[in-house]
Amino acid sequence: MFNGIKGVLYRELNVYRKRAGKQLLATSLSPLLFLIAFGWGFGDRVMAEGLPYITFLIPGLITMSSLNQSYGIAQEINITRFYFHLFDEYLIAPVTHIEIVLGEILYGMFKGLLSTLLIFIYATLFKVQLILSPLFFIAILIHTFLFASLGTTMAMVVRDHGSQATVNTFVITPMVFLCGTFFSVDKLPYLFKSIVYLLPLTYSTKVIRASLTGGTVNPLYLSLMIIFAGLFFFSAYLAVKKVEA
Amino acid sequence: MREILQVKGLVKNFSKKTAVAGVDFTISEGEFVGLLGPNGAGKTTTIKMLTGLLKPTEGEVIYYGRDFFRHARESKRFIGVVHQYSNLDRDLTAYENLYLHCILHGIPKIERDSKIKEALEFAGLTEYEDKEVKTFSGGMKRRLIIVRALLHEPKILYLDEPTVGLDPQIRRSLWDLIVKINQIKSMAILLTTHYIEEAERLCQRVMIINKGRIISSGSPEQLKKGVGRYVLEIFYDDHIEERFFSTRDEALEELRKCTLSCRIREITLEDVFLKLTGRRINV
Ligand SMILES: Nc1ncnc2c1ncn2[C@@H]1O[C@H](COP(=O)(O)OP(=O)(O)OP(=O)(O)O)[C@@H](O)[C@H]1O
Ligand SMILES: [Mg+2]
Repeated sequence: MFNGIKGVLYRELNVYRKRAGKQLLATSLSPLLFLIAFGWGFGDRVMAEGLPYITFLIPGLITMSSLNQSYGIAQEINITRFYFHLFDEYLIAPVTHIEIVLGEILYGMFKGLLSTLLIFIYATLFKVQLILSPLFFIAILIHTFLFASLGTTMAMVVRDHGSQATVNTFVITPMVFLCGTFFSVDKLPYLFKSIVYLLPLTYSTKVIRASLTGGTVNPLYLSLMIIFAGLFFFSAYLAVKKVEA
Repeated sequence: MREILQVKGLVKNFSKKTAVAGVDFTISEGEFVGLLGPNGAGKTTTIKMLTGLLKPTEGEVIYYGRDFFRHARESKRFIGVVHQYSNLDRDLTAYENLYLHCILHGIPKIERDSKIKEALEFAGLTEYEDKEVKTFSGGMKRRLIIVRALLHEPKILYLDEPTVGLDPQIRRSLWDLIVKINQIKSMAILLTTHYIEEAERLCQRVMIINKGRIISSGSPEQLKKGVGRYVLEIFYDDHIEERFFSTRDEALEELRKCTLSCRIREITLEDVFLKLTGRRINV
């Protein structure tokens, strides 16, 4: 049982292990730059949603960085699929499509959680107090699951490596900047606000921020995260099922 | 011998193009069968449908009496595949690539190491066990892919143009490996190729495929006999005419009447293909 999950994870983690140093360095750099630029730059003088800016920022960075990592498996799956043709190895093996999908998603979650850990280390260094509630763990698991599922879907749907980059430029990057990572979405003009409330990252950010800073978590937002996660998981499953080599 | 595979009316259409236009055949345990055809004949498409990488537009694929698509998981245990292209993970070592295959095919943990060592030895790659595949030559990769496909002891091995793009010496060493697999492991093999010599030397039975249809099938001997044993080649200025005869004497008689430069030689599968389709297999 679960040979597909084990196989995919074996492959992904072994490749990751070989590049761990470089990968970790790359993962840790951009949140650090944001922290230095905005965290130190604004310091305690600026408040957002009633929090010192740096305390506001760190949960946003956790959400953003774990999204980048979890969703980022799309790029890697693309390489295994188009250049290594390794996906054929999965498809001819006596394993189910669900197992392949779950293997990739678990790998995406692993990467997302690793980057979360990194930012916790930064938080300690910058002396930012965060509250580790069980709700946070639930939220980050759903969040990384959701975006790893989206990444897997995208990797299967695109026709080549180039279109993957296009999706990133036009969908992922704008989402990361607009959905409450760096400022409160409630400050956005009405039109933008109605757009960002259609995007799952908005809810992730709100729930994760509230759970880390002692705010109240809106159960509706958490439910929406679960619904998005379910939808994307289903789409990933359909996409892998449909893929022909 | 028991029948492993039965293919009935297999068709594959890509949007407008028909790649496979209705193919029927069976393969029994231990048989060595060739699928010989020119580029674009539909060989790879056929193999992909038999291994679950493509869904047929029409037709049935049956392993041991059971429908492949309804019993995909069980059926896949009987199948080993070597694709036309390399699908190794270049970032993993030879050992890790084989280990991945063991996991995916549910080989018990305690058996994995010995099976992998044995496979590497069979391929003559023991000393490269811990080298990453990106450092391998084309011939080494081919051998590794072939032994990887054997790890779970399939009943039938699909080899899609296993020697394409390799130099003649390496091709011969691969032939030895493939023959060993068929004979020592008594595994059925379906090999596709557009090399006449490969089909003639290795296969007990050859199916000639052209434009998505199997146009003739039989042992190389039977196929050749069907057309004639001897060929009389007549050299015109701009082309060569070929005439087929079932005995040497008949060919000689014709040769005597010949005013242009002529010669007699034994028939090859290339001639069979030419006779059947009016064109050469390799252009
Ligand atoms: N995914 C696809 N979409 C559209 N047409 C395709 C696709 N795959 C194959 N074809 C077409 O189907 C035909 C059969 O292709 P196939 O790859 O099966 O041939 P082949 O016999 O394996 O040839 P080769 O010796 O070049 O490998 C070709 O004309 C090819 O262009
Ligand atoms: Mg082919």
